[in-house]
Amino acid sequence: MRGMAGERSGEDIVSEYLDQNPQLSQWVDTFRGYCESNKQWCARREFILRNMEAFPTVKPGVPSSSSLDRLLSLSMVWTNHVFLGCSYPQAVMDKISEMGEGIVVQDPPVHKTTTAGVTAKGKWSAVAEGDADSCVKRAKCGANEVDSRPAGRTSTRPVSQKTGPLPQAPAEHQPFFNRLYKAVAWKLVSAGGFGPNLDHVEILRSCIESCKQTLTCVFVPLKDITGLPAGRTQKEGHVCEIRCQTVYMGTGYGRDEAAAKAMASKEALKVFQGRKVTVKICRRRYKGKDVEDLVLLDEQPRSQGFAPALSYPFQDEQLEDGSS
Amino acid sequence: MGVPAFFRWLSRKYPSIIVHCVEEKGKECNGVRIPVDTTKPNPNEVEFDNLYLDMNGIIHPCTHPEDKPAPKNEDEMMVAIFEYIDRLFNIVRPRRVLYMAIDGVAPRAKMNQQRSRRFRASKEGVELVEEKQRMREEIIQRGGYLPPEEMKERFDSNCITPGTEFMDNLAQCLRYYVADRLSNDPGWKNVVVFLSDASVPGEGEHKIMDFIRRQRAQPNHDPNTHHCLCGADADLIMLGLATHEPNFTIIREEFKPNKPRPCALCNQLGHDIKDCQGTAREKQGEHDEFADTMPASEQEFIFIRLCVLREYLAKELTMASLPFPFDFERSIDDWVFMCFFVGNDFLPHLPSLEIREGAIDRLVNIYKDVVHKTGGYLTQNGYVNLERVEMIMQAVGVAEDNIFKKRKEDDEHFKRRNKEKRKRMKAEQQGPAYLTTGQFAPQALGGRHRPEPVHNARHQAYDMRMQGREQHNKDAAQSLKAMMRNGGNSSAGPSDSKDSRGMKRKAEDSDSEPEPEDNVRLWEEGWKQRYYKTKFDVDVSDEDFRRKVVQSYVEGLCWVLRYYYQGCASWKWYFPFHYAPFASDFKDIKEMFSDFEKDTKPFKPLEQLMGVFPAASGNFLPATWRNLMSSPDSSIIDFYPDDFAIDLNGKKYAWQGVALLPFVDERRLRSALADVYPDLTLEEVKRNSLGSDLLFLGKSHPLFDFIRELYRVETQEGTEIPAELCHGIQGTLNLDDDPILPDKPVKSPIPMLRDISQNYSVGVKFKDPQYADGFVFKAVLLSGAKIPSPVLKPGDWENRNREPWRPRLGFNPNRQQAHLDQSGFRALGHSMNRNRGGGGQYSNAPPPGNYHQGNYRPPHSGGHQPFQHSRQNSFQGAPPSFQPQFPRQQQQQQPYRGGGHGWDRAMQTQHSAYHQNANRERGGAGQGGGSGGGGGSGGSYQHHYNQSRDDWHDRRDNRGQHHQGYSSGRGYPAPPPSRRYNWN
Repeated sequence: MRGMAGERSGEDIVSEYLDQNPQLSQWVDTFRGYCESNKQWCARREFILRNMEAFPTVKPGVPSSSSLDRLLSLSMVWTNHVFLGCSYPQAVMDKISEMGEGIVVQDPPVHKTTTAGVTAKGKWSAVAEGDADSCVKRAKCGANEVDSRPAGRTSTRPVSQKTGPLPQAPAEHQPFFNRLYKAVAWKLVSAGGFGPNLDHVEILRSCIESCKQTLTCVFVPLKDITGLPAGRTQKEGHVCEIRCQTVYMGTGYGRDEAAAKAMASKEALKVFQGRKVTVKICRRRYKGKDVEDLVLLDEQPRSQGFAPALSYPFQDEQLEDGSS
Repeated sequence: MGVPAFFRWLSRKYPSIIVHCVEEKGKECNGVRIPVDTTKPNPNEVEFDNLYLDMNGIIHPCTHPEDKPAPKNEDEMMVAIFEYIDRLFNIVRPRRVLYMAIDGVAPRAKMNQQRSRRFRASKEGVELVEEKQRMREEIIQRGGYLPPEEMKERFDSNCITPGTEFMDNLAQCLRYYVADRLSNDPGWKNVVVFLSDASVPGEGEHKIMDFIRRQRAQPNHDPNTHHCLCGADADLIMLGLATHEPNFTIIREEFKPNKPRPCALCNQLGHDIKDCQGTAREKQGEHDEFADTMPASEQEFIFIRLCVLREYLAKELTMASLPFPFDFERSIDDWVFMCFFVGNDFLPHLPSLEIREGAIDRLVNIYKDVVHKTGGYLTQNGYVNLERVEMIMQAVGVAEDNIFKKRKEDDEHFKRRNKEKRKRMKAEQQGPAYLTTGQFAPQALGGRHRPEPVHNARHQAYDMRMQGREQHNKDAAQSLKAMMRNGGNSSAGPSDSKDSRGMKRKAEDSDSEPEPEDNVRLWEEGWKQRYYKTKFDVDVSDEDFRRKVVQSYVEGLCWVLRYYYQGCASWKWYFPFHYAPFASDFKDIKEMFSDFEKDTKPFKPLEQLMGVFPAASGNFLPATWRNLMSSPDSSIIDFYPDDFAIDLNGKKYAWQGVALLPFVDERRLRSALADVYPDLTLEEVKRNSLGSDLLFLGKSHPLFDFIRELYRVETQEGTEIPAELCHGIQGTLNLDDDPILPDKPVKSPIPMLRDISQNYSVGVKFKDPQYADGFVFKAVLLSGAKIPSPVLKPGDWENRNREPWRPRLGFNPNRQQAHLDQSGFRALGHSMNRNRGGGGQYSNAPPPGNYHQGNYRPPHSGGHQPFQHSRQNSFQGAPPSFQPQFPRQQQQQQPYRGGGHGWDRAMQTQHSAYHQNANRERGGAGQGGGSGGGGGSGGSYQHHYNQSRDDWHDRRDNRGQHHQGYSSGRGYPAPPPSRRYNWN
């Protein structure tokens, strides 16, 4: 493993450094928890020592202060994450992954948070392929990470990394859709209000382009869609899915692609009939699995689910390989 | 105790410890409820002195019940709690003391478990909502129908933790409740009520134990007090045994495993959320009149008699030829101690000891083997002899390897059997796809009906055809309806639930549920190494670490035992690992423990909230405190992960697994809180302070005037209770700051209940008797304690007595037996026969639960009187024996039986008892007319019956008068018809 050499040296440096500073070594050892194993403590000690400079009031010999406690707390967050599999609010996670950069832990234990495996009722998740999937993902991501960060592996353990939209994605996209909302509203006013006889495709396209973005359409022949109710007799026609900036807006069906697109645009415009539009992360089916997708919603509670996704822009190639 | 299986195991192994409660229900007259007069003798034929309520076991089911709709608001919850207490009071009818204990701040050792529960609850809540949403979408897309989603605010059960506003309100409401009942309910007028609310530190049941322990250590204690403790936790049984009080009974809700729960999505019974199909609801009753009734009946209560458990244990533990004198009381303490190995709230259980695998029996066997070598008992007064414990552990350790292998084998065997069973069931369920009906219907060979010539075959065939078509139409209409209800949106295809092929495939899939991967593989060579590697992430060679784990565990065992026998030894101690070591690792443990840190203090309520709540429950805390749970700059942010791993640890369900949560660093918690303490409001400061137990009593209690006098003279220092005024109960009284005083109206905290304008009760602070530091509470029977009469059949009964053994099923060994006279039987037989029909008069099938349910074949041969039947048959020369007659008698008794559960047992015992009688008579006296050889006619049977019954009457009259009060003549429900056939 690539980590071996890096870890050797990291640990060596730390112990060398401590040998030269017996006082520091003694002081830092007072923070060792009773139940910490050598391996855990070594890693955490390195974390504390590496980040001490960032907490200027933390000095060896000074028994305790609130900034020392903050450092200790973050070191525990980091070890809890690496060794127990805990996750914390995003802001905290960002912080520790930055602070933990460069510290190498050799084969950290693998724990599953409940997102993979056990569900609320305690039953094993019925989606068997989900498990296999996450294994693949784990391996791939691990490799990926090492490649992309030559500085060394970070603490962030691959398990918790999901493909899918980032949690902050809705917030990032929201301003654009607020603008789009206004554009659509004005456009519809000038067109005499929302109705069945409009050119929905044109309205949507022009509004989006006036906001300096483009519309993405994906077409799939109906017969290629698996997982439709078995009794379904209709086999011809096409389905169209509209996205903008990766955010899903609507799905439509029609005899040909144009008709499908028109229907999808109409569905998308319906969303703009509320008082506001919101970008959210929602679960949808995609290729027979549940995925998290970015979706544009109005404020009404939805009485039904989303149509299965036809495309999925948040996926890296590895997953595509792994799942197909 | 964290061992759900413990109670089940105990009640199966020692069935006679359970007695069903007889509950007198309040009657209703013109819509007015008439309360039950609890001053009357207890219908359970026993009188209890003290009733202790572990309130958390009441609060949880009353605030978020599983078998009925949840209360709408907090007021309704309070009323539900009051009603629950009333119900218990009515069943138990305590004559001296009612002690209500709500969990206060717990010792640190318990906090880890509380923390894990609350984090899980919060996480499961979120996941359930998610799963619901997901399943909902899926079902609707498939064309299923679901009731509209109700937007209900979920009750966060996490608020049932000391320090929250909810708990504060609850304490207020209980004060009101107590004052009301003491003023108005005659059954309460001589009862002293103790209320230990959440502001008093300690777990509820342990506060109760502390009370009992401290009372029985003072000289005025009545050694024959009959205690009754309410609560469902298995550790109450341990606690009860640990008191060494001879009369100790536990009351709990009857344990009903696998009670059906409605699906969380469509609210129908019979499937899980996972299998929800979204089909239309079936009508309940012909016109849907039972739509909102739950099929489950009201939860019934059972008594667990610890004196009977003591009898069982005496049989099991008594050892002859010991190198030291056998002391049963001390062997009980050892038994309690060994049960801790198998599971308790404070330590994870040893991997090799699993209660379902008979771990306790194994331990008892080892104990009896080893005790010859140890030269004494494992424990004394709650102190552990580690040297001897090590010998037990080593003996378990030797077997460990085999236990793990056996476990794997059993597991596989079980799985295989299950699979076969499922296959079989499926094959059975699959009847033929089509059956001819009417005169073409298939008939059993050798049936009574001879085949008759076919009439009008063409018409019949036409009918059958039409019928089939109609069925198809119905199915189609059904799926159409479902579609329309869902708004006919484009995604809803026609329902395919009727597609038998699709169904089958699904069922097969669910068979092969994915197994949790188990990296430890305890059944394979090298298990120890793998266990330490996977669970602790250390090498097995890391001897120091392993010893640390063992040492902590040893400390834990000492702490737990001390906790049960002496009270909390240290508020600070806790087991700082997620897993237990192996039994074989317990080597040289003698020096591992000396004593606990002295004078540790419990957390304050709000501090404990910070220690056990996830950030998601932060709304119960002040804003700046809450901020510490989520801010990246908080110095304790590491205590509050928003998600965590659950290690199934070889188990199947998440709730059985180990939540891998970080432990709380007390020092950092306290120093972080020091900064935010000034932000507390006055109200919060009050909630955060430690409170005191309270004592209440009504006007007619002898102590009433004494307390009233205390308030009049406004004594400032504590006053001892004069023992003679209060059944020998001791303690110190202090004036309450905001007391409940006689003639001072009590305002109702609940809008729907009225204020008490005429208050006749008084409340005062109460403190348990105090003892010097280092005082050791003795775990012995007190002098003067009378052991209740035995219930179990002595082993040498046959040798000593000629009388057959009469099983003792209730509290009263001489209980009155219900009987009917001849006319009663006639009337009964008459009406029963009509409903039941002659479904084989010699059928051995037990009677159905509801005798008016018509799932029996209609009578073929008209109604007969039961006794005539047998006579008739004997005319025909078929000699009926007694045995087949027996179930008939049972059937007739049925309306008189009390609870459902005791039925089987009672039947068995009666059955055998009956046989005994029958045999004796046949062989011996022969007084019964024609009852010789192969069995007499029905007539002689009846004759017998009468004669013997007369005998029995005589016997009863000769008995002492002391149970007269319980006779059924006074309007109490007749006790279950036990031992009806033991007349002689």
